[in-house]
Amino acid sequence: MTRGRINRRQALKLMGAMGAGPFLAAGGRIPPAAAGGPAGRVVVVGGGFGGATVAKYIKRFDPAVEVTLVEPSRRHFTCPFSNLYLGGLYQFDALGHGYEELVSRYGVQVVHSMADDVDADGRTVRLAGGETLSWDRLVLSPGIDIRWGELEGYTRAAAEKAPHAWQAGPQTHLLKKQLEAMEDGGTFILVAPDNPFRCPPGPYERVAMVANYLKSHKPKSKILLLDAKDNFSKQGLFLDGWRKNYGDMIEWVGRSQDGEVVRVDADRLEVETEFGTTHKASVLNVVPPQRAGFIARRAGVTDASGWAPVEPRTFASPRVEGVYVIGDATEAAPMPKSGFCANAQGKVTAAAIVADLAGVDGPDPSWANTCYSTVAPGYGISVAGVYGIREGHIEEISGGVSPADADAAFRRREAEYAVAWYRAITQDTWGTA
Amino acid sequence: MYRSLAVLLSGLMLVAAPVWAGAPPWERVEAVQNVLDGETPVRGAIHLDLPLVSRDGSAVPLTVEVDSPMSEDDYVASIHLFAVSNPYPEIATIHLTPRMGQAKVATRVRLNESQRVVAVARTNTGRVYADAREVRVTVAGCLARDATYDSDTLMLARVRAPERFSAGEPGEVTTLINHPMETGLRKNGDGNLIPRRIVHRVAASVGAETVMEAELHRSVSADPYLRFFVAPVEDGTLTVRWDEEGGESAVREESLRLR
Ligand SMILES: Cc1cc2nc3c(=O)[nH]c(=O)nc-3n(C[C@H](O)[C@H](O)[C@H](O)COP(=O)(O)OP(=O)(O)OC[C@H]3O[C@@H](n4cnc5c(N)ncnc54)[C@H](O)[C@@H]3O)c2cc1C
Repeated sequence: MTRGRINRRQALKLMGAMGAGPFLAAGGRIPPAAAGGPAGRVVVVGGGFGGATVAKYIKRFDPAVEVTLVEPSRRHFTCPFSNLYLGGLYQFDALGHGYEELVSRYGVQVVHSMADDVDADGRTVRLAGGETLSWDRLVLSPGIDIRWGELEGYTRAAAEKAPHAWQAGPQTHLLKKQLEAMEDGGTFILVAPDNPFRCPPGPYERVAMVANYLKSHKPKSKILLLDAKDNFSKQGLFLDGWRKNYGDMIEWVGRSQDGEVVRVDADRLEVETEFGTTHKASVLNVVPPQRAGFIARRAGVTDASGWAPVEPRTFASPRVEGVYVIGDATEAAPMPKSGFCANAQGKVTAAAIVADLAGVDGPDPSWANTCYSTVAPGYGISVAGVYGIREGHIEEISGGVSPADADAAFRRREAEYAVAWYRAITQDTWGTA
Repeated sequence: MYRSLAVLLSGLMLVAAPVWAGAPPWERVEAVQNVLDGETPVRGAIHLDLPLVSRDGSAVPLTVEVDSPMSEDDYVASIHLFAVSNPYPEIATIHLTPRMGQAKVATRVRLNESQRVVAVARTNTGRVYADAREVRVTVAGCLARDATYDSDTLMLARVRAPERFSAGEPGEVTTLINHPMETGLRKNGDGNLIPRRIVHRVAASVGAETVMEAELHRSVSADPYLRFFVAPVEDGTLTVRWDEEGGESAVREESLRLR
């Protein structure tokens, strides 16, 4: 118990008193538990923004905790900046991040497999190969699943013709190929869902990046964004940015103007709206209704909404003991479903778990989020929020969006900050920029 | 009267106590008491559905359904909707008829803050049903869509009915009118109150017969949206009419055809 400058219990107290961030900034580490067994076994399912972060930070806070990360892919390709790839501003390869540093530098054990089932009573996770892992604490960060068929006609097969590209990978490539094959003068249609969904500004950045590609390659083309909502993230900034950069190429139709799509015909690339208008696309991009990844449902942590409610302080599930849920799979409103939030939640939950395993109170949580959106090369906008707990609920403590009347230099700086943000967050999450 | 309400509300408290902390004072729900009129409502036959959490309080989808044969002798005569913590809790009162075939309506409502939404239904035989839902709102209804109302399409109305009906079988009709539903409580950029402007009535009829009539209040979202059922027994025309307090109106007709 005395290897470090301070003992474990003192370190944990310090983490609690100061918040995890300052403690780490001071270079602090919690000394390992007494020689012998680990200080606890944690299994993390999902190696995206939330899962990779929580795995790494548990080891940073207390290397004596045994951490196993379950993730099928050897490289995680991020949704953030996948719109920039579609717009021709970023390489696809640069979106991929591996797990080498989590293993070699932090001592996380990474198992490349799919978690198939959770036994909450027996405290095990079953993997696709049939093996089981035991845990004292389980963290689920599986991201989203598509609700296939919830939007009539939008099935797995339909997504091969009308891609969603809302999980980065083959779907992103398919959409890019379709854009490249599209005729000049064609119509790109994006169908946007009602709340809640992954990345609230995502559909609006997506059409901007598609416009950036079309502007230089197929300038006679049109973009139609059919929306199931009347309000969206950074609405004024997007509408203004689209007009300044792309004239009238992008048309947005909100719900009250008959923008809600109720049926998709992927074979004919047609969509039908609530009041019966049919629109025909050259390329059809459907962002469909979503819910928590299936393993969250298997574990029993989701409610009727399809998402997982969480205890605000720790992101522990109020439904299943010993299980924590972070990232897009949670209902953590007003926090958005963003990579930045998943990363912030990963850190807070890492501190909560380390404290819990040591039998002490965790720190008072606070989370931050910034969502940058790139509207055009050298034209960025953002929304930021700081979240804390008020009267037992997560609340936005402060926040705001970029000024409406900012000059070109301001927008250019925000576009640069976006790139810097991406490098920093991927470095912080996976350690591979 | 107070006692019956207390029975209704205390039962609900078990379901979602945390959201209900900060309960509105009893007098706030006077509107509910008036509708109950001293009767003890029954739960179970009425189902109110809203999302548990809403990220946009300006338009929260609401569906209410009552188990009822909707026959001439036994039908739901009215459904009353309330958002108990809004400045004015009344959302809407919907008058139903057996012609609807199904006692189910959907709309979108404004919720100023996290609160309880209540639905009360009365049958023609005098039975009273009630249900309630807690909704957590993370962006208040009054914050969104400040100056964005697009006046180009003011009073533009839309109706959609199924292409074919089976005689006497209910089919769902969707209606919407572009309208700001100004509450009269909101200030513009100069700090002056924006005058109240409300579509206060929506009525649907087939021929001379009224199928459904709704009184709308300030807690209905901008661009009032209403879905309801109609069960035509012969080919005909559905007429939907919207009336503004100021006297303006809009009318849309949609043909109802049997298979
Ligand atoms: C187009 C687009 C643009 C975006 N841009 C931004 C942005 O600029 N900034 C931002 O902050 N956010 C952005 N986001 C949102 C961001 O992608 C998500 O919020 C973030 O990925 C959520 O992290 P997560 O850990 O919950 O899920 P993910 O990052 O999706 O990770 C989930 C991981 O879990 C794995 N998994 C799932 N189920 C299992 C299982 N049963 N067993 C094992 N592994 C499993 C998956 O393989 C995946 O690797 C964007 C999203 C989109 C779609």
